[in-house]
This record gives sequence, C-alpha cells and structure tokens, in this order.
Amino acid sequence: MVGGGVIFRVRRGGEAGDPQERYQTYAITPRPRMTVLDVLTSIQSEQDASLVFRYSCRVGMCGTCALRVNGRPRWACRTLITELGESVTLEPLANFPIIRDLAVDMTPFSDGLKRVRAWAEPTEAAASAPARIPPSSRERVRIDPHIECITCGICYSACSMLGHDPAFLGPAALNRAYTLVCDSRDAASAERLAEVSGEQGIWRCHSQFNCTEACPKGISPATAIQGLKRQAAASGAKSFVSSIIGGRAPGA
Amino acid sequence: MASLSGPPARPPFWNLSAWRAMYPGMWAWVIQRLSAVVLLVIFPFHVLNPYNKWLRIAVLALVILHGMHGLKVIFTDFGFPARHQRKLLWVLTALGAAAFFWLAYLRKAFWGFF
Ligand code: SF4
Ligand code: FES
Repeated sequence: MVGGGVIFRVRRGGEAGDPQERYQTYAITPRPRMTVLDVLTSIQSEQDASLVFRYSCRVGMCGTCALRVNGRPRWACRTLITELGESVTLEPLANFPIIRDLAVDMTPFSDGLKRVRAWAEPTEAAASAPARIPPSSRERVRIDPHIECITCGICYSACSMLGHDPAFLGPAALNRAYTLVCDSRDAASAERLAEVSGEQGIWRCHSQFNCTEACPKGISPATAIQGLKRQAAASGAKSFVSSIIGGRAPGA
Repeated sequence: MASLSGPPARPPFWNLSAWRAMYPGMWAWVIQRLSAVVLLVIFPFHVLNPYNKWLRIAVLALVILHGMHGLKVIFTDFGFPARHQRKLLWVLTALGAAAFFWLAYLRKAFWGFF
C-alpha cells in the first residue's frame, strides 16, 4: 500500500449495457482490519452517498453482501482489504441481472431453489413423530457438509456453465436438492431427482469446481452434484434393466 | 429495468466473459479440453511421420496431460470428494510430470531426443 492508500475501482451504473455504466475510482486510507464492506460504507458516508450495494448482517451470516473483488466472487463483510493489494476492482456478481452499481437481482437464484423444491416435504412417518437419525448415520455423514449454505450467490457467480446457460439450476440449488434427496424423511426425492436430472440440472455441470473453490462457507456444491449424478445414473440403470427384464417376460 | 424479469440472455459461445473466475480446477478443465483438440490435429501427422521426435514428444506430453486430467474427472465422478479436487489435481499433475520425464528422458534410446 504505497503512501498508505488503496485505490478502489467500483462499477457504477444500472443494468448491463446501461450507457451510464462506468468505473469510478475512490481512494481509501485503510484502517486496521478493514473489510471490503467497511470500504463501501465509508465511500457511501464520506465520498459518494449515491453508491448502491447490499448488506445486512455484517458478520458472514446473511449472504447478502456478495460481489466480485478483483474478478472473483467473495463476501464483502469477511474479506480483509490487506489481502487485496493497492488497487482493487469491485463489480456486481456475474450471472445475475444488475439492479444498480453493485446490487444484483437474485431472482434467477431463488427460482432455482424453487425449481428443486428447496423446502422439506416430509413423509407421513416423519410428519407425525420425530425421526431418530444418529449423527453417525450414513445419511447425516453425507448431508452435514452441505447444510450451511447462506444463499449468497457466490457459487452462482463463479460458475462458467451458468454464464453459458442461464437456465442451468446452478450449484446452490443442486446442493440443496442433494441434502433433501439424501434425507430419509423426505417424501419428494423422486420428483426432485427427476427435476435435477434434466439437461439444465446436474448434467449441465462440467466438473470445473469453481463453485467449490469460491464458496465462502467451505461447501462443495460440486460434491453434491457428483452425488446426485451417481444417484440419477443408478436409478436410470435400474429402470433400464427392469425394462429389459420386462421386455423378456413371457407373453410380452 | 427490463432485465429484472429474468436471467440474462445466453451469450454466444465465443464470449469469454461467460468464463467466470478462473481457479485451478477450471484451468485443469480448459487444459484437458484444449489438449484433446490439439491431439486431434497433430495425431494424423504423427501417424504419417512416426519418427519425428518433436511430434513424438508433443503426442506424449499431450496424451499425459489429457489422460491425467481425464482421470481427475473420472475419480470425482465415481466418488472422490470434489472438495479435495485441488489436492487430486496436484498429485495427478506430479505423477504425469514424472511419467513424462521418465518416458522422454530416461528412455532416451527410445526417444533419441536429448
Ligand atoms: S453454496 Fe456456498 S457459495 Fe453457494 S450460495 Fe451457498 S454459501 Fe453461497
Ligand atoms: S453482510 Fe451478511 S454475509 Fe456479509
């Protein structure tokens, strides 16, 4: 940090292609343990009140502050500027429609969650009495690494397949689907598996692992997608075999 | 704000802005695909001209590059946890480099190269 200052280039303007779109530069004098979110609030209060960005919890829980820092999606409230060098570029998340400046419209992301029915649909047994599932059970061991998602959209922004196909369900929705499909209390696993098995679901994933590298919560959506691929392949193989056996049945 | 009604339009495949953050796993993927394309182009020349040492070493390097990264995809498809894919990438890259130097250098009689 030459002279103690850091230059922030911030993307301004409305939706992509807006004639007002530009990069505006702000000089910031770093304070100890200053985060990217601190930089944004200080720009807004001291230099430019018109800067638009989104945040809520400031402590890495709500997932609303995500943006691209030097091209990579990160959470603003937990990214220290000491890691970033003397010149930092801030842009809105990729793969989302931009509302203004750094704020994006999360609708495509929440649509993906709706498409996989990201809510619990319990079996009758699970709805009527508490299920006993030990933490060491196979299903908990599979599900537990995938449950801490804060729906920040960082994996969605990092995914190059989403850049090519905006209809792709995306890493977070598939990660959520995996936690439900693996859950013995879930009554809608077959429907979920059918929804995610389409061309715009798991098979759109090309195993580039950007989601896994980028997730600030240490989740690996790609691991979930690989798990769903194996389950879909197994159920496809099963129905293929039974159709062959069915075809050979006497009188068929 | 017309764009708020849905996701952004699908960009043409040559639009590299759709290639988002490039992490090591993504580079590995790109190298794996590119090595296949280059192999397709040079392999016929290698068949026509099997003793050209440059073509031989290029084919060797590309086959190893393509194969090692292909193994990574196969392993993760069949249950190797993708959260450890970076470690897998480095291990396979090291093994591939070792195989390349063993074949290309230690067996110099075969390659007639160094
Ligand atoms: S999986 Fe990770 S990166 Fe993706 S939305 Fe959830 S917390 Fe964010
Ligand atoms: S402001 Fe809530 S996660 Fe950053």
